[in-house]
Amino acid sequence: MRGLLYPFKSVWKDKFCIMSFLLPIVVAFALRFVGGIDLSSVAQFHFGVLEDELSAQTISWLGRYGSVTAYETEDELIAAINEPSSYMIGVTANDGGIQTMISGDELDLFRQTADTLPALYMGRESAEQVRVTVLERPDLMDGFQNIFIAIILIAAMFMGCTFNAMNIISEKENGVDLVNQILPMTQGGYVVQKMIVGFAGGCLSAILTACCYFRLPMERVLLMIVLIMLSAFIAALIGLLIGKFSESLMVGVVFIKIVMIVFMAVPLVSYLLGAGGVVSVLCYLVPSSAAFEGIMDLADNGRAMIGKDMVILVVHCIAWFLLYLLAANRINDIKAQTSK
Amino acid sequence: MLGNFCSLFKKDFQMMMSGRFFLVAFGSLIIYTVFINFGYTRYMNAEPYNVYLYDPLGTQQEVSERICPVTSLEELNAVVLSDTNGVGIDASSGTPSIVLYFGSEKADNHRTDYALSLLHQENEYHAWIAGTNTLELKQRKEMCCELLFVELIAVGFLGIASVLFKEKQMGVIRVHAVLPLKKNLFIVSKIAVFLLSDLIFTALMTVWNIGFPDAAVILPAVLTQTVILSLIMALTGFGCTMLLKDFRQFSLAYLVIAIFAAAPVFLSANTSVKLEWINWHPFYHVYMGLKNAYFGMPGTGSVYYICSVCGIVILFLGVQTAFRREMGKEG
Repeated sequence: MRGLLYPFKSVWKDKFCIMSFLLPIVVAFALRFVGGIDLSSVAQFHFGVLEDELSAQTISWLGRYGSVTAYETEDELIAAINEPSSYMIGVTANDGGIQTMISGDELDLFRQTADTLPALYMGRESAEQVRVTVLERPDLMDGFQNIFIAIILIAAMFMGCTFNAMNIISEKENGVDLVNQILPMTQGGYVVQKMIVGFAGGCLSAILTACCYFRLPMERVLLMIVLIMLSAFIAALIGLLIGKFSESLMVGVVFIKIVMIVFMAVPLVSYLLGAGGVVSVLCYLVPSSAAFEGIMDLADNGRAMIGKDMVILVVHCIAWFLLYLLAANRINDIKAQTSK
Repeated sequence: MLGNFCSLFKKDFQMMMSGRFFLVAFGSLIIYTVFINFGYTRYMNAEPYNVYLYDPLGTQQEVSERICPVTSLEELNAVVLSDTNGVGIDASSGTPSIVLYFGSEKADNHRTDYALSLLHQENEYHAWIAGTNTLELKQRKEMCCELLFVELIAVGFLGIASVLFKEKQMGVIRVHAVLPLKKNLFIVSKIAVFLLSDLIFTALMTVWNIGFPDAAVILPAVLTQTVILSLIMALTGFGCTMLLKDFRQFSLAYLVIAIFAAAPVFLSANTSVKLEWINWHPFYHVYMGLKNAYFGMPGTGSVYYICSVCGIVILFLGVQTAFRREMGKEG
């Protein structure tokens, strides 16, 4: 295992390796201590009004539903309504009541809200006398904040594949790969060495990232470590596969780009869209889905899904390992045939 | 000089062809187009809240069609639990009371009042439409703009590295030090190839996903923004290639830029979340320029263009210095 020293040394000397290793940790640190990002504005409506047009009561009534911004002229109001990043609803006075304005490209929820707002305004007195029972559920915004950290953790975990894939490819390009073949080292030993580079990098970065953000009880800390180790193991295997199949750095980078995009996008999109049924099962084909779900579960103080996620990750570990063995054998066979 | 430029341009073009750069870009274009047409626009929507009514006595006579009736209190509780955005109305005692899961304070106020308003037949009111986009067109423009931004960052940055590192290793840069060429031509021809490929990519992406009639109106503004972004990214890529040791280091720099620099920009530009420091983020302004161009918004002022031009000139000068240093080092 003395050979391990060299890849680690080259990673340690590499400023950008160190930077990419530290970056998720820094982001997690910032999220934890600088106060995070205020996402509360996503879950409320935004109303635009004209200055001095609506009464103070009307504005405070609108304020019960969301934020109210006043604009000096109608042109400014219309420009704000048409601004594509927000779903602002314009509210103007009309015969003792109100009328609404939208840009026409809103999601159904906002369109419907604008359509029904004048009726709500007319019936505002009667609505106040009704008994309302609000049942508790975990704060949605906490969950939203956790998405960030989960995605950063996923990036840290699967960054491991970059370390060893790039290490293997650069060795191939420098010709070190050919030298390795005549060294007194078994194929298995070589594979284990390369895996450790990716595994250790991904593991350490993800564990430090998690430490910076989460304050979890001991039991869940252990679960989180297992989750990170399983994911980093898969990442290292993927790194090996990428290294095996890429003949040049450019091809390797394209593979890594695809892996990173897929691994981050699939769990995020399926979580945000609340995918269910066959789609959610298909999402588990991407290992980061189970890891993402597990992290969210641990962050939400739940443990309902963690067992299932662990099993899925273990299955992935075995599947990727077998896939690697299969690919390695196939490539060796092809090489043997061509050398004949 | 034009002849020299043409031969350099041709050589760069051929290098990119042989590096399958265009194939990768074309593949990305196809994937993005499939995603926009068959994924994003179909599944991205937020439905209005569902309202469930339990009214065994039939006290509510004029309820809206949007209300879903349920037959028992257990069913009402179960359905509200499974659809936590929904609102339950229990009218079993004669007067309606509301049951809902906590969302956020302001949203809950609205959900309550909205649910109660559905107990009366509403008169059909439609909000006045101030814009020209439909939901689908907006989603197409939005996603097109986001993917284009990601791809332009990737194409300029990674593409130039793939070509330049090869030349660096082959010693072509050293050869240029003794060639009777203006040294800037080397930089300009590289940047020009990427600019051209980015412009073609943008035009195809816009026309394929937004449709020709709508695309034709916005294309000049979009292409202008593409020129700015493409030049910035290609020059940054060029500079990093000169400063960094090998492609491995470079790919990590790329990951850092792609993931951590672009994420806050997307968050600020696409949602109502506004980060206070985002105005200091240069990509934010470029992205907003691109987005405003897609949506035909006036937003971008002359200050932005002046800053962009200054930025590009500074980058060019930086790249020029790094390039000369690199030639000197290798020579």
